[in-house]
Amino acid sequence: MGAPVSDEQFRAEIRGWLREALTGPFAEAVGTGGEGREHEAHELRREWERHLGRAGWIGLSWPTEYGGRPATLAQQVIFHEEYARAGAPGRLGHMSEQLLGPTLLAFGTPEQKARFLPRITSGEDIWCQGYSEPGAGSDLAGVRTRAERRGDHYVITGQKVWTSLAHLADWCFVLCRTDPGSTRHAGLSYLLVPMNQPGVTVRPITQLTGTSEFNEVFFDEAVAAVEHRVGAEGEGWKVAMGTLGFERGVSTLGQQIGFRRRLDAVIARARSNGAWQEPALRDRLVDAYIGLEVMRHSAVRLLASAGEGLSGLEASISKLQWATWNRSLGELAVDVEGAGALLTGPGYELDDAQTHFLFSRANTIYGGSNEIQRNIIAERLLGLPR
Amino acid sequence: MTGTPEDLAEIRASVAEVLDGQADLRRTHEVMVGERGYDPLLHELLTAELGLLGLVVPEHLGGLGLDVPAATAVIEELGARLVPGALATSLTAILAARALGPSAEPLLARVVDEQLTLAVALAEDGAGWDLGQTATRATGAGDEWALTGTKTVVPGAEAARVVLVTARNEGGELGVYAVDRAADGVDVRTHMTLDQTRRLSTVRLREAAATRVDAPGGDGARVLLDHVRAMLALESAAAARACLDLTVDYLKVREQFGRPIGSFQALKHRCADLAVAVAGARATADHLVTTLRTGAATRSHDAALAKLVCADTLMTVAAEAIQLHGGIGFTFEHHAHLFFKRGKSAQLLAGSAAAVRAEVAALAGL
Repeated sequence: MGAPVSDEQFRAEIRGWLREALTGPFAEAVGTGGEGREHEAHELRREWERHLGRAGWIGLSWPTEYGGRPATLAQQVIFHEEYARAGAPGRLGHMSEQLLGPTLLAFGTPEQKARFLPRITSGEDIWCQGYSEPGAGSDLAGVRTRAERRGDHYVITGQKVWTSLAHLADWCFVLCRTDPGSTRHAGLSYLLVPMNQPGVTVRPITQLTGTSEFNEVFFDEAVAAVEHRVGAEGEGWKVAMGTLGFERGVSTLGQQIGFRRRLDAVIARARSNGAWQEPALRDRLVDAYIGLEVMRHSAVRLLASAGEGLSGLEASISKLQWATWNRSLGELAVDVEGAGALLTGPGYELDDAQTHFLFSRANTIYGGSNEIQRNIIAERLLGLPR
Repeated sequence: MTGTPEDLAEIRASVAEVLDGQADLRRTHEVMVGERGYDPLLHELLTAELGLLGLVVPEHLGGLGLDVPAATAVIEELGARLVPGALATSLTAILAARALGPSAEPLLARVVDEQLTLAVALAEDGAGWDLGQTATRATGAGDEWALTGTKTVVPGAEAARVVLVTARNEGGELGVYAVDRAADGVDVRTHMTLDQTRRLSTVRLREAAATRVDAPGGDGARVLLDHVRAMLALESAAAARACLDLTVDYLKVREQFGRPIGSFQALKHRCADLAVAVAGARATADHLVTTLRTGAATRSHDAALAKLVCADTLMTVAAEAIQLHGGIGFTFEHHAHLFFKRGKSAQLLAGSAAAVRAEVAALAGL
């Protein structure tokens, strides 16, 4: 990629590219994937990742030697806005690009970067995140999955849970305990584990939506190379927390474009079926609009002040806001629908309102539950005692 | 002074310093129960000595010529301390007058020359804040008008020398007029108020001499209403922050069961929710300041939305502040109830929540 481009040129370029791609070979992919629809169109979306990668849209702001391309913070925001506006498919590569990539850039060895980053920017490799366990949810330091060093590799035994895309992923970044006598934050290591090996079993979790996008992952003497450990042995907590700190807020405004589209759809439905004439429902719809405006102003304000992206605190405020907002809109969507929302398609096939209503319960749990976000805000922003 | 961010920070800091010395919450507490309900010496200090009234008045009219954020910063600092009187309404009227263009220049020149404080009078019995229902009449032409009508719940009139009034002329057109409080036919009756930090007056006009401030054919009355909403939003966002700080500070030192009560998760989580609300109000108010500065076409929408969000946020924070303080929060000597009452006046002035929400929906094209 050549010389720096202006924000306007950048926007025109991504918009034009998306229009061409999504009216051509990927027309069927429009609107597939994403929240509550992660089970859709896997093959097509996998091909879409490679298409994005070939065009240079993965790894914005990453070094060009790894296939990245120069992009300002504003341009990264623009990418996400245009992506959402175009209705482009839910990304299979978001954990690769948003979580693992930045972690490797910060903590990886030159060999790790050279090996893994180009395969992320090309859209070849899909990654999943192996953090949560049955006994380590909000309290991540409770990780018990063991990794025993044997010569030039580790042998991993344990169970991870709530692993999105594990059934499609090529690799998993796994937090596990390398020091058998250790507890809590000490003695953990961050390992890169190939998914396609005999010691790895993936079992989909059927969610309350009836569909599956999360999985259980069982490691039974699975193997990871020592050279694929990120950071020092026993320093895995620091690396994992670094990953969580890479929420840079660049996707927030794009996400809000999706929210606005959902809100507009619910309002349009309310207008067509008469629900808008119910004062109580109308108030809730207008309040949803106002809540989204508040989130938009908050995002703009944070981005304006955040040369280096969001701090963890700001990310906590933002997460609490949007998760709670979206969950409420899910409730509103079915209330607007009325009793008709009680009827599903054959095989528990759900429409948009029903999917939104059910899946949004996950929003306030995953990625740090509302309760964890409140702890963070209370203790670190307000300085209340532990 | 050119209006750079550094200048702005300096203005804010110097006003904050004066207010911390002369108009902190303790002083507000004293002043609000006094006969006048405001502190004339503070008004004198901030106007004649600090020159606040000229801050955003253009230089060719004798002012400092700073941009909108200089005045809104002062409104916020006043709001954070719940300072009673006509300082915030004066700056609000000045900002509105600036937005009205050349027709308001004579008024702005007078404001600086004569150090005029201002109040803003829109509401009427029966009409509330619905501009379309305004019944106050303006008769006359050119520079000479006479106003007749009654304005209610007018903030700032107890301390202001000029009142900006919305009225309808014989052609039925709404306009903004300036009336001297001391003129014949002007009767200002100031009430004791639930929110003691904000006295409200009934202003009766009988053939009161007035000048027209806005240009015919414009939307001057709407400009004035939007700016009053902006004032309430900015004050509330700042007060909400101050009230949360006050509460969090208390939770860190108050001990029960042998530990600071701020360590209890039940209280922490409520404070976290308040912090999220305060951050949202701040962002919404900041966005409104940008809208006012750039003259964006979304002014009415943004002012209505910000007033709704910020007033509700203050109300929520202040209600929680009383509860989180426990018994001490229920006493008159504590400051929590001042925020609580200010929150309610911000909610009820310049349009009820239901009315403003309906306006937002219409302006947003929902």
